[in-house]
Amino acid sequence: MRELLEVKNLSVSIDTPKGEVEAVRNVSFSLKAGETLVIVGESGCGKSIMCKTIAKLLPPSARMKSGSISIKGEDIAQYGEKEMRRLRCEGFSMVFQDPMTSLNPTMTIGSQIGEAVRVHEPGISSQELKKKVIGLMELVGIENPKERKKMYPNQLSGGMGQRSVIAMALAKDPELLIADEPTTALDATVQAQILELFREIQKKQKAGIILVTHDMGVVARAADRVGVMYAGKIVEVGTAEEILYDPRHPYTQGLLRSLPWFSRGRKTLYTIPGMPPTLIHPPKGDAFACRNAYALQIDYEQEPPMFPVTETHAAATWLLDKRAPKLPTVSPEKEIEREEEVGEEILLDVQHVTHLFPMTKKTVVRAVEDVSFQIRRGEIFGLVGESGCGKSTLARCIMNIYKPQKGKIMLNGLDVWDSKVFSANRKLLQRKRQLIFQDSDSSLNPRMKVWEIIAEPLKIQHIMPPRGSLREEAAFQMHYVGLDPAYLDQYPTELSGGQRQRVAIARALVMEPELLVADEPLASLDVSIQAQIVNLFRHLQQEHGFSFLFIAHDLAMVEFLCDRVGVMYQGRLVETGSVRDLFSNPQHPYTKSLLKSISLPDFRQQTAGRTGSW
Amino acid sequence: MVMKSGGFYYGKKLLLFLFSIFLLSAVIFFISRLAPGDPLVSYYGDHAERMSPEERQWAEEKLGLTDSLPVQYVHWLERALQGDFGISYKYKRDVTEVIGERMGNTLILGGIGFCLIFGLALALGIFCAWREESLADRVICKIGTVTSCIPEFWMSLLLILIFAMNLKWLPSSGAYTLGGTRDLEDRIRHLILPLTAVIMGHLWYYAYMIRNKILEEARADYVLFARSKGLKKSSIVLKHCLRNVLPTYLSLMAISLPHILGGTYIIEMVFSYPGIGTLAYESARYKDYNLLMVLSILSGITVILCSIVAEIINERMNPCIRGNHIVEDTEVAER
Repeated sequence: MRELLEVKNLSVSIDTPKGEVEAVRNVSFSLKAGETLVIVGESGCGKSIMCKTIAKLLPPSARMKSGSISIKGEDIAQYGEKEMRRLRCEGFSMVFQDPMTSLNPTMTIGSQIGEAVRVHEPGISSQELKKKVIGLMELVGIENPKERKKMYPNQLSGGMGQRSVIAMALAKDPELLIADEPTTALDATVQAQILELFREIQKKQKAGIILVTHDMGVVARAADRVGVMYAGKIVEVGTAEEILYDPRHPYTQGLLRSLPWFSRGRKTLYTIPGMPPTLIHPPKGDAFACRNAYALQIDYEQEPPMFPVTETHAAATWLLDKRAPKLPTVSPEKEIEREEEVGEEILLDVQHVTHLFPMTKKTVVRAVEDVSFQIRRGEIFGLVGESGCGKSTLARCIMNIYKPQKGKIMLNGLDVWDSKVFSANRKLLQRKRQLIFQDSDSSLNPRMKVWEIIAEPLKIQHIMPPRGSLREEAAFQMHYVGLDPAYLDQYPTELSGGQRQRVAIARALVMEPELLVADEPLASLDVSIQAQIVNLFRHLQQEHGFSFLFIAHDLAMVEFLCDRVGVMYQGRLVETGSVRDLFSNPQHPYTKSLLKSISLPDFRQQTAGRTGSW
Repeated sequence: MVMKSGGFYYGKKLLLFLFSIFLLSAVIFFISRLAPGDPLVSYYGDHAERMSPEERQWAEEKLGLTDSLPVQYVHWLERALQGDFGISYKYKRDVTEVIGERMGNTLILGGIGFCLIFGLALALGIFCAWREESLADRVICKIGTVTSCIPEFWMSLLLILIFAMNLKWLPSSGAYTLGGTRDLEDRIRHLILPLTAVIMGHLWYYAYMIRNKILEEARADYVLFARSKGLKKSSIVLKHCLRNVLPTYLSLMAISLPHILGGTYIIEMVFSYPGIGTLAYESARYKDYNLLMVLSILSGITVILCSIVAEIINERMNPCIRGNHIVEDTEVAER
């Protein structure tokens, strides 16, 4: 079959105040019609910039330095906006990550889809246009298209929004579709449906699809072929099966091993040591060498070429050279049964809590309705559910931020919303509960130094730091959460996402709390960093006896980390139970559908069974 | 967004409006009398200075200036509520009549000025955004910044100096040539200079806002997506970006209408243009109390009405604020 898209030796750099970032370095790959290529990599590896380069939608600060891009044999590297517009009209579509920002908030969905149709078929009559728009909306699975097309983006849920975006991309009967993290902003159940939709499109339209993601789950669900990107380079390509069964590059292996299903039943998750390099002055040799336990001398000196493994499979690592020593096969740690160390003492008792948000005079949003559960001392209680199900509201009720209209919240037998009890035990109650937010970027004051952030709660509550000065206390806490105290005088923006989340955790720990409420603490982090944070939580629980309320939508992480789980659906707690019971024998239909959405296609589960092979 | 039922909502707004006007009238009434000056001068002219104490007493009684201030205010209020705002001391005629005569002139100057600023700012803003960072854009930005820094009265003087005194192209003052034919052409010739001054003082402020707002929108993800859909630059800028900028622009313009009118007051002064501005200046200066009260209240009403209009524009044009949501996501912040 003829190549639909061929990228050769593509290099792209971005000008930043700190210097020129070599975001994409010498990347080559190709895509056939009717094929889905998934590009996986962590944030900052250059995958998004690569997509934008192919689509010629680069920001002004970035420029393509060398290489060629050809679509159906047409070299587009030198194309200007005008020629690109022609290509885009003829069937080169893109889908972006967040439907809420890629739709114009002031135009109805219908008119935005209509626009895309008219671009493709300029002479279309308004009657036909209407028909085509409705047809497209049906195609992507939007029900009641006649009513929905008059809606504005903010009236749609995230999944509906992404479906409309895809409808616009399909309006041109695309031959080539590039989707940049199309499911990242969506809930697990919706994610599965959208990936399903991509599969259908690929079959029906015979389109070539490039799907960019950081999620190995997406790889297993959608990929024909996979490219793994690290530090601006494609380090391994192969069919989905080859990559998932038989990864050759140590980075790919690390990515797969840091997924929670690999460590199921074990104490800690596997983590790739170290951090991705900055690409301002990319390291000589193999960029992954310093994180690779088996790095050879040559890795630090010379860049590895792509070594072919099979006809379709190749990886750029010196370990595949004939002269390289054979790798010892990694045997997984012995499976440890997690002991039930949890005591019987109840730390947090939530009784029939209801919290309503009045919207208009007549309507009320029942964010949390009649929720009851208990957390025992030393336990990690997971709370899962899709966005908007009331998890965060519940966390805020527990933290004395929102006052529940009904019900009681007891911490250590003290009613936190009873004003008399609260004022009598104010200091104690404030100390014993601490909140960790999802986005460490916005929950840390950018104008405060790290040590000031960590020590601030002590200052607010007028508590003498137990280890001398505030600064020493901050240094101790940083050590505690695995941060180098050298960062004491830095500002949050100078740290990476994982480090910032550690600072947020240190800030919570400085009060010596008993209960940590973590509201989606992993959602904004990369896979390998997620594993590090999860390990930290596990460590804090097991070695230091903290209790957690762990709010997440990633079921695999919850399964790995938590002792007990509660599933929330539309404001109600529909099911609670120990992790094992709930995952092996779900009762509520919603729990079942949630579990189904993370259960992976067959060959993936086989892989899980034979994890020991590498 | 909590939307109260219509009647209650507007009723509350109306009450607030009336109360503000009442408060304004009281404040102006007392402050204007605190300032030094002699109201009799505006009634009797130079003669007031030569009056004997008896004559003075008589004149003040006739004008109702001998009572204590609160009593005077109550009297004024009683008459005002019946639609009688008194006579102008200077013109010896009904205040409303005097204002009515001049109102048209100000509305022509301010109204045409406002419309031109509105349209030109939009066009200039779009032009600059379209050619971002090009030579034209940069030159216009620099010139615009300079012109908007020049105070209006100075700009007016400069215009008069150049075009009226040196080049003698255009008249420097008034609305018509004295003893002239009072035709349209004459009118327009008299309008050009003050209009230019009005526009020059305000235009760039709004054009720059449009330019930056459009550029801000152009960096949004939906524009990237619109480009990937294959839309033309013109339809992206005009249909997508402008659409998102317009509500803000309209409400800003509504709020700044009084501001622009305030600017015309000063320009009217410099060009001795027979409008409300000159009238207001004279009435404040010569203690023509009745006239001053009405003019202040008129300005107050304009300001308040404009901000109400701005608020309504904001509420009606933004679909995110517009009522009847479908509430699916209770915690948008969660994502």
